[in-house]
Amino acid sequence: MSELFGKTTDALGAAIQFRLLKQNIASANIANAETPGYKAKKLDFEEALSRAIDIHGLGKMNTAHPEHFPVNGNGISKVRADVYDNPDITITNDGNTVDLEREMAELAENSIIYNAAIQLINKKLAGMAYAVSEGGGR
Amino acid sequence: MDFAKGLRVSSSALTANRLRMNTISSNIANVNTTRTPEGGPYRRKDVIFEAMPETKNFGEILTSQPDRNVQRVQVTDIHVDRGAPIFKYEPNHPDANESGYVAYPNVNLMEEMTNMIQATRAYEANVSAMTATKDMAAKALEIGR
Repeated sequence: MSELFGKTTDALGAAIQFRLLKQNIASANIANAETPGYKAKKLDFEEALSRAIDIHGLGKMNTAHPEHFPVNGNGISKVRADVYDNPDITITNDGNTVDLEREMAELAENSIIYNAAIQLINKKLAGMAYAVSEGGGR
Repeated sequence: MDFAKGLRVSSSALTANRLRMNTISSNIANVNTTRTPEGGPYRRKDVIFEAMPETKNFGEILTSQPDRNVQRVQVTDIHVDRGAPIFKYEPNHPDANESGYVAYPNVNLMEEMTNMIQATRAYEANVSAMTATKDMAAKALEIGR
């Protein structure tokens, strides 16, 4: 799979999955915007994903010796998202830490990036389809 | 890929806020009610929201740890405000006590109106969240088109 589709599709697939998780968490935060004592959740995955797909090219350093275990590069499926109580909070009397405006902004941003990832996958697949059909000349 | 979870969470909030709206409407409607089945004037009511882990079915509850990160909201109690009623001097009213005072509900219209606006905004926010999730699900179906 990785040979044909490359790292791009894998990374985009992982990104889509995490965007969906982020969407669910933002939805839950909005749903509980007025629940006393509810703590707003936050999800981070960008860091873990960038490490997995080795954006900074650090992976080569880790496998300088052939007997070293490969640390990066092929771990996209093993990336775990980090969910925690958002420490950047607004204090309210009832112990609720949801900032509704920020969650709405988060939601909008999230769906835009999600759509962008879907579009990129589609472009990638279209490019492959083009190549398969020998440049479109049937 | 679980779009349904996000939708279920948002819809739980819609249900909760709808119930809250109904409670506020009841408070406003009964602002002058002096007789109730329990006796005495109407007492204002308040919904209590509680966050609950969102689980699909019994199997999921049985086999796995509930997802503590994505929680739905539920109205677990309708609290009756036991605050003192508002007394007005109306000696000719049939419900007046021996000194001529009528006990009116402890409903503050201003408070109810602000609560109503808050409930409306919360409802709208959840509708937006639901629409966003729904659009994302629709987009996912377009992969490879």
